Amino acid sequence: MFGLLNRWLGLGEGGLIEGEILGINMRNALIQKYNPRHAIERARDKVAAKRALEAAGISCTGTVAVLEDHQQVADFKPSRDMPDAWAIKPARGSQGDGILLAVRREGNTWYKGSGAALPEDMVMHHIQKVVDGGFSGDSAAEDAALIEPLIIADPALSRIVPEGLPDLRVISLHYTPLMAMVRLPTIESDGKANLHQRAIGAGIDMETGCITRAVVKGTPITHHPDTGVNLIGFEIPGWKRVLELASRCGPAVGLGYCGADIVLDVNDGPLVIEVNAHPGIEIQNICQAGLKSRIAATGEDFR
Amino acid sequence: MIARVGQIWANTTPQVRRPFYIGLAVAAVLAVLVGLGVANTETFLALPSSFDGVASSQAIWGLKPSNMLMVLPLGSFLVVLARSFIGLKAFGLFTPMLIALAFLQIGPVMGPVVLCSSVLVGMIVTPTLLKLRMTRVGFLGVLISLIVLVLVGLQMVLDTQLQVDAFPVIVCALCVERWWKQWGKDGAKPAAKMALNTFVLALMIEFVMVSDFALSLIEWSPLLMPATTAIAIAILGRYRGLRLSEIGRFAPIWLERRRRAKAAAAEAAALPEGIEEDRRQGLPDTRRVPEPEPEPEPETVAEPERQPERVAYRKPQLTALHRSHGMVLAALGGRAPPLEGMWVIGSPSELRPDARRRVPQTVPDIGPRPRPRLVASGGRAVAEWAEEWPEQRPPIHNAWVIRRVEDV
Repeated sequence: MFGLLNRWLGLGEGGLIEGEILGINMRNALIQKYNPRHAIERARDKVAAKRALEAAGISCTGTVAVLEDHQQVADFKPSRDMPDAWAIKPARGSQGDGILLAVRREGNTWYKGSGAALPEDMVMHHIQKVVDGGFSGDSAAEDAALIEPLIIADPALSRIVPEGLPDLRVISLHYTPLMAMVRLPTIESDGKANLHQRAIGAGIDMETGCITRAVVKGTPITHHPDTGVNLIGFEIPGWKRVLELASRCGPAVGLGYCGADIVLDVNDGPLVIEVNAHPGIEIQNICQAGLKSRIAATGEDFR
Repeated sequence: MIARVGQIWANTTPQVRRPFYIGLAVAAVLAVLVGLGVANTETFLALPSSFDGVASSQAIWGLKPSNMLMVLPLGSFLVVLARSFIGLKAFGLFTPMLIALAFLQIGPVMGPVVLCSSVLVGMIVTPTLLKLRMTRVGFLGVLISLIVLVLVGLQMVLDTQLQVDAFPVIVCALCVERWWKQWGKDGAKPAAKMALNTFVLALMIEFVMVSDFALSLIEWSPLLMPATTAIAIAILGRYRGLRLSEIGRFAPIWLERRRRAKAAAAEAAALPEGIEEDRRQGLPDTRRVPEPEPEPEPETVAEPERQPERVAYRKPQLTALHRSHGMVLAALGGRAPPLEGMWVIGSPSELRPDARRRVPQTVPDIGPRPRPRLVASGGRAVAEWAEEWPEQRPPIHNAWVIRRVEDV
């Protein structure tokens, strides 16, 4: 009877492998199977993930300082310790919450990308709020503030977007990169590379690194709406290096199935910013290809 | 219309068909159970005080308060079904179940009225509360007092004895909080959709809990309900196929692929211009099968354009420079020679004689690197490499000068 029920539910022999789209149920099963609890915790904490990645020799974004408690915050002085352009991130923030960017400095005042001034006490207030856990969900009482030098995008990429930093998302299983997309900010998305806020998602061909398809909120497009650059066929610079980084950073953090967020820096080339233990499945709609068939091609049996 | 649906159905893959059947089956079972529950309801509009002392769940549905515990597993089972088979997104994992219990305690119509009014008041007041910058506990505390205030107001308006237990108050406060969090995260529309899902799911669970089926199962043996639901969840919870909502979400992939295949087929079948009818149709194919051509003889001269990867290695010709040549003078003077005469060779194809040459360039230097201060950070992550921090960036050049074997 169990056999019949299993077959009906698609859990029998062959039933698990068939089909090409990866549903959320199957994704959760993969995460449960390959991503151990401690590795997920490590990936969620940006500072811990960065340590693990750097220990494995993977190039990450630079670090100016890590402020872990109030003692360190009290000793920190932005005018002395901060460079001209930086980013403050909460170590356990989600979805870009609490990220503050400064692009230039005049005396002891920094300026945001929008031109708003950031005097020293405002910077300190933000750091204080981050360390208090104000951006870290409700479970964390305290958090660490991670201060990084600002990343300037590769000129080839920054030419096609009006503002903001495009980032690449590569989903990989163990050492095999499976699918990749690039998220391009638009003016409508306010310079953020977030697909929910109407940024462009563009599917990338895994072999050549060329954009094959670009989508805004489910509608396919061919040119960037703000800059008018043709996106289809655009080749991501340093694609081989991106793939190499993406294939190594899951195992470095301890994750089997993960999504790596990679940016292309003007000087240092591809750098890993974050490793995601629960990568979304919307990438299939953007690349118009199924993840499940690609996972099955690596020999995965989905048990 | 029906023919079109049938056509679409004939083209679907098993990966789509199975979740669709399963989703339909789940929906049908739910509909039957909800129907039973509605049929079992004796009165919809009664207020709890009109039952003089008898718990409203017993007066309306015949569900004893002591049996309230028994229907809880059924609620969790329905939540699992709705989540992993249909894909309804609700606030929290088991919030719909708790709301359904609150409805059971208040009544089928009064429950939603109480919930909606208190959540509405909470929603109106929350922006002001958030401005006060309270902690989460404080915020929830204020919300609970407010909701009790609303309930007291309702009691005065409707009925002097609207008996509401402490439990629904907490559920309402949690709902308001979840609603605000979701709004802040996704925006108003998805949050409203989720709230509606939660509400509908709670109503469904409420009526399934009091259906004849559930009540008779509890009457039969108190152990039966928890045991059966536990086994059912254990079996069905392993489902890993697509959810019903994901069929709609990923439909563009299948549809686009079909459209492309159709367009390609149409292009292949299109007739040349000026011809209206293909008269060859139905007749035997009389085209001559071309004979396989004899293998072309191996060519003696390899064309470099055709086979760019296989250019024969050419020994570089060394030419002696005159003493007065610029590069020689520069080398003697100890200065670095200008790089204009060099090519950047990044791949074997660039060694071809007709390849486009790239001239090496230095990447412009962007000032000194900011030196990290470790006074305050104490950061373990930066301590190791901060000792030998070069003030100046190392010059970046995209060409290498190779003089000796060791340089390679």
